[in-house]
Amino acid sequence: MKLLMVSVGEGRYAVPADAVAQIVDPAVEADFHLEDSAAVYRGERLAVLDLHAAAGERRGPAPVYLLLAGARRRVIIAVDGAEAIRDVPAGDIAPLPAFIFAWPRRAFRGVFSDGRNPRLLLDEDAIL
Amino acid sequence: MSGAAGGRLIGFRIGSAGAALPLGIVREVAERPRVVRVPGSHPFVSGVALHGGVALPVYDLGRFDPLWSGRKAPAPSGRGAESGHLIVCDWGEVALGLLGDRVDLVEETESDTELGDAAGAPCGMSEVYVKRILRRDGEVIVLLDTDKLFASLGVPAAEPRGRRKLGEDDPAGG
Repeated sequence: MKLLMVSVGEGRYAVPADAVAQIVDPAVEADFHLEDSAAVYRGERLAVLDLHAAAGERRGPAPVYLLLAGARRRVIIAVDGAEAIRDVPAGDIAPLPAFIFAWPRRAFRGVFSDGRNPRLLLDEDAIL
Repeated sequence: MSGAAGGRLIGFRIGSAGAALPLGIVREVAERPRVVRVPGSHPFVSGVALHGGVALPVYDLGRFDPLWSGRKAPAPSGRGAESGHLIVCDWGEVALGLLGDRVDLVEETESDTELGDAAGAPCGMSEVYVKRILRRDGEVIVLLDTDKLFASLGVPAAEPRGRRKLGEDDPAGG
């Protein structure tokens, strides 16, 4: 499956590329701004999921925003960098055990090897 | 676990506290692998490591507050805070890793103390999680009650492999 590699603070994560409708860089996209805990993009008001807060990371000085689109809703996630798209075989992604999570809702569903370090895969079904 | 003496144990350090597990549930001891932190996981979960293609949950018992009766786990003496080893345990259908230092084999003997004979668990550990107390070379080693400990960590309850094979691999009754 094709994955978009992103950075959030010190953390390195992956997002299923199929779920990414747009990568929005506010430096070049004039029709994007944040309002309280929401984002307004081309007139559409979208919920912002704060992955930095969830990961205990500080937001960098120049975040870019991923517009994720699912069957039920569209949301915005801020990341500090969108690095690359990689094709990772589904069999290389190990599911995370549910019992490690403190709450039933979880933002990540799997982990795979990305060079020397493991990288977590965002759970788009739980988010969207 | 039967609690009978005469078993082989894996001893290790959590900070400066001595602890032990039945050898029968230990699959292997490895150098600490790269562990990735998982946002939203329990605070005592260090993260996950890829181990044989499986996402192995890695636990830092020093951060499991109920084990320390609400106190802080004793800090390691004269070394860095990072535990150097990973103790991989089989627990029913799942595997889990515990971080530890100074991992070694320990023989359980008849002279080791049942918790009921001791005036509370040493090392600041809650007696809820202590099965037996051992003393080796002047140091206290606490045999952890894995049934209670792993249940409290949220690990699914299951009949551990070590327990199914009482005898050869797990004379302690793991």
